Amino acid sequence: MADRAAVRRATLDLIARDRRAAAVVLALHSAAAIAGLATPWLLGRIIDEVSGGAGIGTVDRLALAIGGCVLAQALLTRYAQYAGHRFGERAVARLRERFVRQALQLPVSVVEHAGTGDLATRSSVDVSTVGTMVRDVLPVIMLSLAELALLIGAIFLLHPLLGLVALVGFPTIYAGTRWYLRRAGAAYLAEGAATAELTDALTTTAEGARTVEALGLADERIRYGTERIGHMWATRRATLALRSVFFPVAEGSYALPIAAVLLFGGFFLDKGWFTLGEVVAAALYLQRAIGPLDQMLQWIEQAQRGMASFARVLGVGMVPPEPRGESSTPRGERLVVRGARFAYPEGHDVLHGIDLEVQPGERLAIVGPSGAGKSTLARLLAGIDAPREGTVSVGGCPVTDLDPAERRRRIALVTQEHHVFIGSLRDNLAFAAPGASDEQMREALAAVGADWHTDLPEGLDTQLGDGALDLSAADAQQIALARLVLADPHTLILDEATAALDPTTARRTERSLGAVVAGRTVIAIAHRLNTAHDADRVAVLEDGRIAELGSHHELVAAGGTYAALWRSWHG
Amino acid sequence: MRYMWWLVRSQPVRVLRGSLIGTVWMIGLAVRPYLISRAIDDGLRAHDRRALALWVGAIAVAGFVLAYLGIMRHRTMTFVREDATARSAGVLVRHVSRVGAVLPRRLAAGEAATVGGADIGNVSAVLTVTGPGVGAVIAYGVVAVLLWSASPFLALFVLLGVPVMTLIAGPLLRRLESAEHVYRHQQGALTARASDIVAGLRVLAGVGGRGLFARRFSTQSQDLLAQGYRVGAARSWIDALTVVIPGIFLATVVWLAARTAASGDITIGEMVAVYGYVSVLIVPVWFLLEAAYQMIRGRVAARRIIAVLSVIPDGTGGRGDQPGPERPADLYDPDTGLVVPDGLLVGVAVDEPAEAVALGDRLGRFAPGEATWGGIPLAKMALDEVRARILVADHDSYLFAGTVRETLRIRESASDAEIWTALRAASAEDVVDALPDGLSTHLVARARTISGGQRQRIRLARALLAEPDVLILIDPTSAVDAHTEARVARRLRSARAGRTTVLVSTSPLLLGEADLVAHVRDGRVVATGRHAELLDDDPSYRALVARDADIDDDAAERGGVRR
Repeated sequence: MADRAAVRRATLDLIARDRRAAAVVLALHSAAAIAGLATPWLLGRIIDEVSGGAGIGTVDRLALAIGGCVLAQALLTRYAQYAGHRFGERAVARLRERFVRQALQLPVSVVEHAGTGDLATRSSVDVSTVGTMVRDVLPVIMLSLAELALLIGAIFLLHPLLGLVALVGFPTIYAGTRWYLRRAGAAYLAEGAATAELTDALTTTAEGARTVEALGLADERIRYGTERIGHMWATRRATLALRSVFFPVAEGSYALPIAAVLLFGGFFLDKGWFTLGEVVAAALYLQRAIGPLDQMLQWIEQAQRGMASFARVLGVGMVPPEPRGESSTPRGERLVVRGARFAYPEGHDVLHGIDLEVQPGERLAIVGPSGAGKSTLARLLAGIDAPREGTVSVGGCPVTDLDPAERRRRIALVTQEHHVFIGSLRDNLAFAAPGASDEQMREALAAVGADWHTDLPEGLDTQLGDGALDLSAADAQQIALARLVLADPHTLILDEATAALDPTTARRTERSLGAVVAGRTVIAIAHRLNTAHDADRVAVLEDGRIAELGSHHELVAAGGTYAALWRSWHG
Repeated sequence: MRYMWWLVRSQPVRVLRGSLIGTVWMIGLAVRPYLISRAIDDGLRAHDRRALALWVGAIAVAGFVLAYLGIMRHRTMTFVREDATARSAGVLVRHVSRVGAVLPRRLAAGEAATVGGADIGNVSAVLTVTGPGVGAVIAYGVVAVLLWSASPFLALFVLLGVPVMTLIAGPLLRRLESAEHVYRHQQGALTARASDIVAGLRVLAGVGGRGLFARRFSTQSQDLLAQGYRVGAARSWIDALTVVIPGIFLATVVWLAARTAASGDITIGEMVAVYGYVSVLIVPVWFLLEAAYQMIRGRVAARRIIAVLSVIPDGTGGRGDQPGPERPADLYDPDTGLVVPDGLLVGVAVDEPAEAVALGDRLGRFAPGEATWGGIPLAKMALDEVRARILVADHDSYLFAGTVRETLRIRESASDAEIWTALRAASAEDVVDALPDGLSTHLVARARTISGGQRQRIRLARALLAEPDVLILIDPTSAVDAHTEARVARRLRSARAGRTTVLVSTSPLLLGEADLVAHVRDGRVVATGRHAELLDDDPSYRALVARDADIDDDAAERGGVRR
């Protein structure tokens, strides 16, 4: 989250980067507004001329001038809008590209602690809210402001006193707006959230319809849905209450300046300070000001919401990017863990002093009950988190000191969590190894047992993800494993990488993977004991400590927890 | 259309009030130009200060009365819309909750979201027509009378000219909408890609490739920029036309009015009023055009809502109302020949995952089949009774958003103590312990925030808490580590003691605890016995469940031949 000063700086920066365009837009809009102002002024002239008994010829000339002004205004509006639109588009493009660049540089630990949900909101809702603001809302507000300023200015030109009188009515609008804006942001956010919740309630009930039927949850779902409807109704009433105060105050004030100018003009017409036509023109200007005022008040709440989103988008850039690490190059591939302790923020130690050495080419299986700290250990080994105490090093260098790109080239971590990116199957593989040929990709897919790829309609060009071909969890995980094959790291850390697959597919995948990982260091967190059986050594992790360590046969012979487990497994 | 009429009929007083206030408000819009014209004619030009003060006072008062009418109209119409929204949402919530398993088969994914979000709103928006729509027509008539009294010629010109002008300008805006459609679509795709990258950040952190994604996003962003320029070019011309068309029309009216005034047929005040009426008339005419468009959109939306409402349960293979067996009895599936004796924990090892799911569907009557319970065909029993007494807990069993307690309390009577007992049986106490607020922790839909193994154990605890006569568990521990799986197997047995439980699984840890194991191969039961006996006597069973590496390979080879 960025503070107000930062938002202001960023807004100015947005304009400053495209200074010339911004100036052009402003000039064109002002010119268009001036042309638009000519109509009431010319009408005032007509009135004066007609009152003075002028003939039809004068009227025709002045009317023609009005037509000319309208055309000029239209042309100027066209170019002003076009320039404004281009300016807005450029600004939005810059913003969204910067957002993605910065999001990609976020350290993994920040991503995880913030929760992907929060970042997802920022990337979808906030970026597009800011986009709407820059593209649609800001131009309208700028334009309305310019028009309003010119209208008031024009009245001052007619006569300064008329101008001063015209300002009556604006203080109430200002006060009303301030009152409204203080409360509107939160109220509309609540309304949006309540609406989304109702949609969500309907969607999830529909998705889980079978479960609703199986478990007899219909009444519960109806109660939940009805509650959401009630909540939505309440939030909408709250925003309506705000509008019920704001709109009458603002709209009621529209008539005040007109009344004031007419009254003042009438009383002092005799003094000869201004003509009847000038008073009428001032009244018409003010009548005309209702348009831009209305526009501005309608959009101002959205502009405010846009600014809030802008602050959230900027917030992403304020997290320091992942440290580059020191340039030290590890000698060798030996992984060594010494006295490692680790605690998540807001928690007690998860790991209590782990000592472990993994030789290059060794296959180590880590087993243990859930909550023992297996995944945490995997993250330390992969350098995603640093131990609170003790060290984790590869080839003599602490893993967290390595350059992130370099580290990923050496040590890859695959978890249960998989993600298929929007794009072709090729896109989904290529980023792991930019230079890979189609042949290598097919080999990698075959290596992880993803034979289904040969049945795809367009082979590697088949589009995947969001709306395109939806892969099952099993297929998605196989893609994740194929990426690994292509990335070719010397050390692989598999954190229950096959747990999401159905038992048959899991076994097929594991077997194929076995051939691929030959010659690499593999650390596998496994919930199926056959993985442990095949490993060179097995580490049993219990309560954040290594309870047993040795080969499968040694551990079975030792008669500890592992042996007991193996016996019940083996039958 | 009938549906929308129903929404109107449900709130007649409110709709009537809306029409009334809407009408008065629209007519009121025409009052200001009239008052200004009187102030000019009677006050300013006649140099009559009293008359001026009177008319000016009227302008100020009218302003506030108009503001009051405006907000009352807005309030009434908001209530009309919200009433309709709540009513539609209520009907949908009730229907979607009741209709059951047939819904996902009849409704494309994402459709529920469209119906529940945009469609309800679009239908409600149509109701706006009832109030101000009526007002617009009446206001148009009133302005017509006012104008006629000033100058019939000008009146005719304005009254015909404004609708014609709106009809020309209206379609232009529609065209703009379709021009923007491509842009919005592309923008949506780009937003989806940004979200996609964000969602995959952890994968990118594990494997690399961040630079590539940043570059690719930039390229697409630039494509959208180019498309945006194109839209901007079209849009700005349309903006200009929306200035030109009314502007020229207004200029013409002023010109004609001025000529009439110059010849003395109308007063100057009346001339100014005519100018004002033109801008006032645009409001109701625009409104009617907008209303027509909303009607079209609303009809489409209403049709989609009706489509959801007309999905009805298919009764899955029968509509009988025969009562089931009074006491729990043996369950029999003729398709495979599987017999589940009453009160036992029966393991079923199925060679094909798809067949395992189909078996569960038949035993729980989610698919047509000939399964019987105590000799009574399930298809002949009342569906409600089947659902209440036989529970199939499958892989995709849905977890709704809510606290853990709400998720697990599927019986009203379940106490926290019972919940903890079930959690213990499912070996899921540590899952809840690790959550920041224990049972009161809020989980999102599908419980995406916890791991697959944790989700699976929460689902198992929920199934146990339902306490059905027959519980059919399909692969309940496939994502759980061996330590925990062994514990679940032991506890499950005592938790379901005396009641019928079917365990469809190939895990030796689970099958080892079963009273009886049936081996289903190629869709038929080929062997029945204790786990240990089958391991010894049935080599293909051993290949399926015992996960020794060497035997496994044999099975794979044979499996290869069979396929």
